[in-house]
Amino acid sequence: MARPFHLNTPLLESVSMTKCVGTPVFLKMENSQPSGSFKIRGIGHLCQQLATQSKGVVCSSGGNAGMAAAYVARKMRVPATIVVPSSTPQLVVQRLQDQGATVKITGKVWDDANTEALRLAETEGLTYVPPFDHPLLWQGHSSLISEVAASLEVKPGAVLLSVGGGGLLCGVVQGLKDVGWTDVPVIAMETVGADCFNAAVKAGRLVTLDDITSEAKCLGAKTVCRKAFEYSQSSQLTIISELVTDQQALSAVETFLDEERVLVEMACGAALAAVYSGLVHRLQDEGRLPALLGPLLVIVCGGSSVDMEQLNHLKHKLHT
Amino acid sequence: MARPFHLNTPLLESVSMTKCVGTPVFLKMENSQPSGSFKIRGIGHLCQQLATQSKGVVCSSGGNAGMAAAYVARKMRVPATIVVPSSTPQLVVQRLQDQGATVKITGKVWDDANTEALRLAETEGLTYVPPFDHPLLWQGHSSLISEVAASLEVKPGAVLLSVGGGGLLCGVVQGLKDVGWTDVPVIAMETVGADCFNAAVKAGRLVTLDDITSEAKCLGAKTVCRKAFEYSQSSQLTIISELVTDQQALSAVETFLGQYEERVLVEMACGAALAAVYSGLVHRLQDEGRLPALLGPLLVIVCGGSSVDMEQLNHLKHKLHT
Repeated sequence: MARPFHLNTPLLESVSMTKCVGTPVFLKMENSQPSGSFKIRGIGHLCQQLATQSKGVVCSSGGNAGMAAAYVARKMRVPATIVVPSSTPQLVVQRLQDQGATVKITGKVWDDANTEALRLAETEGLTYVPPFDHPLLWQGHSSLISEVAASLEVKPGAVLLSVGGGGLLCGVVQGLKDVGWTDVPVIAMETVGADCFNAAVKAGRLVTLDDITSEAKCLGAKTVCRKAFEYSQSSQLTIISELVTDQQALSAVETFLDEERVLVEMACGAALAAVYSGLVHRLQDEGRLPALLGPLLVIVCGGSSVDMEQLNHLKHKLHT
Repeated sequence: MARPFHLNTPLLESVSMTKCVGTPVFLKMENSQPSGSFKIRGIGHLCQQLATQSKGVVCSSGGNAGMAAAYVARKMRVPATIVVPSSTPQLVVQRLQDQGATVKITGKVWDDANTEALRLAETEGLTYVPPFDHPLLWQGHSSLISEVAASLEVKPGAVLLSVGGGGLLCGVVQGLKDVGWTDVPVIAMETVGADCFNAAVKAGRLVTLDDITSEAKCLGAKTVCRKAFEYSQSSQLTIISELVTDQQALSAVETFLGQYEERVLVEMACGAALAAVYSGLVHRLQDEGRLPALLGPLLVIVCGGSSVDMEQLNHLKHKLHT
């Protein structure tokens, strides 16, 4: 099998988070993946399976999925076309171009860009790279858990992660199944205003949000993928869906930068906020999370759609 | 052989730095080691060799060597005593205690703390952990290069790193020897005011600085280790010693943090190496004929370091007027 594009990322114990939670906390540092986030796991795997003899790949994400697709395509020496809406900042367009991708600007919102990406896949024989809803993506993401199983040597007490479209959640659940850890609870975090998973769990059915009103744009899927919803309904799994505010997510980003010296996106901050804001304790007090018999595994999903200027802009906008 | 304490850290291509240099640039991300810097390689190795049956370890660094020693000792389930001078910030003392170490505050400057550490090693039978001057440290650090050799698949055109006491330099040179890459030039960076290696190279002999006047405190050895100086004099190796100012090192830290690709906060000591890229030093060395055109990627060792946070960064910006 060809060498994967992702790395076995550092699993680091966080002394400061351990103090917060009262149980050892381990961070899986997906921010240090090539292209900046965990997405290279699934997208690398999907492209290796589908795009080796391809005329090229096409993706409709200007965010982390697009960056991962552009990177993987460059490494595979196939062309990459990233289709983005006109609202996409020039900085994002430039970054994708720096990765060697052709950027096509189409329409006003993501849906327009995605329609065009699917059209190009059809008419030009390109391999379409979905951002989160595909079994090959989940299979690729699942490698995260097998790496942890090899490094950690004990079963985690719980896994903490952020949910956007649900791709990471599905990959983690598959990984937990693969290593026999299905009894490990998963705390699935979103921000208020980018909470398609939480809305579906509350409604008991898939829900499409009218709009994304959170600043955590990279969590901004309007509908969570069906597989993630199915997992939330399964009696074999314990998936706890929780929300934090934008302010809490941003505050978590700032604290994490100070304590761990890594700058992550607000989407990632949603998961970190569960530790810093005391949510883990609250869930235990409410009896929704058992006392942790093993370490808390926090997936630091990463994300490169952030820099110091953006952080300061968000601080100003959210008045923190 | 027991499992090592260090990790095989990410080797990441930096498109932004590649644009600066004109050759592919790869970053070995030692900031993501447990305890925050490359030092765990050498200190982990030394402790595994010397301290397994020990009554404990003792170290006189409140910086990254101390953090690495405290972490390794905790993992080995042996006590750690870190001796630091009274000038050590409380934040540093707290972090060491959080790693489970006993912190002893002695004297005013590092030399006092080190004298006490050596005394405790003698009287209490503790294993003394030197910060940079020991063959076991260099042997441990050399694993960095063997990891790169396995990942990179091509020989680097040059290696870029920071020099404090010379431990990393010695480890890297040993690693280059181990993998047959002794013809790869090493660009060894320091800051003005923490330049013991450069001073020795210029004088043609070991030099002891009167004082460390740079803000890059973690580069602050007054005398570089003898082995590093010997390497600089060897005709078999190409080691280019260069300096940047504190302002350039700090600016490099900010740039590295601010760019979308890396998003990591490192110490100024680490910034000294990064500044060689951002300030155009690599090009200048080539223009001057001191560095050949790079026939392979530039390997930058991001040494890391945990003695920094946003407050410290802002304090330094204010102090250095950037």
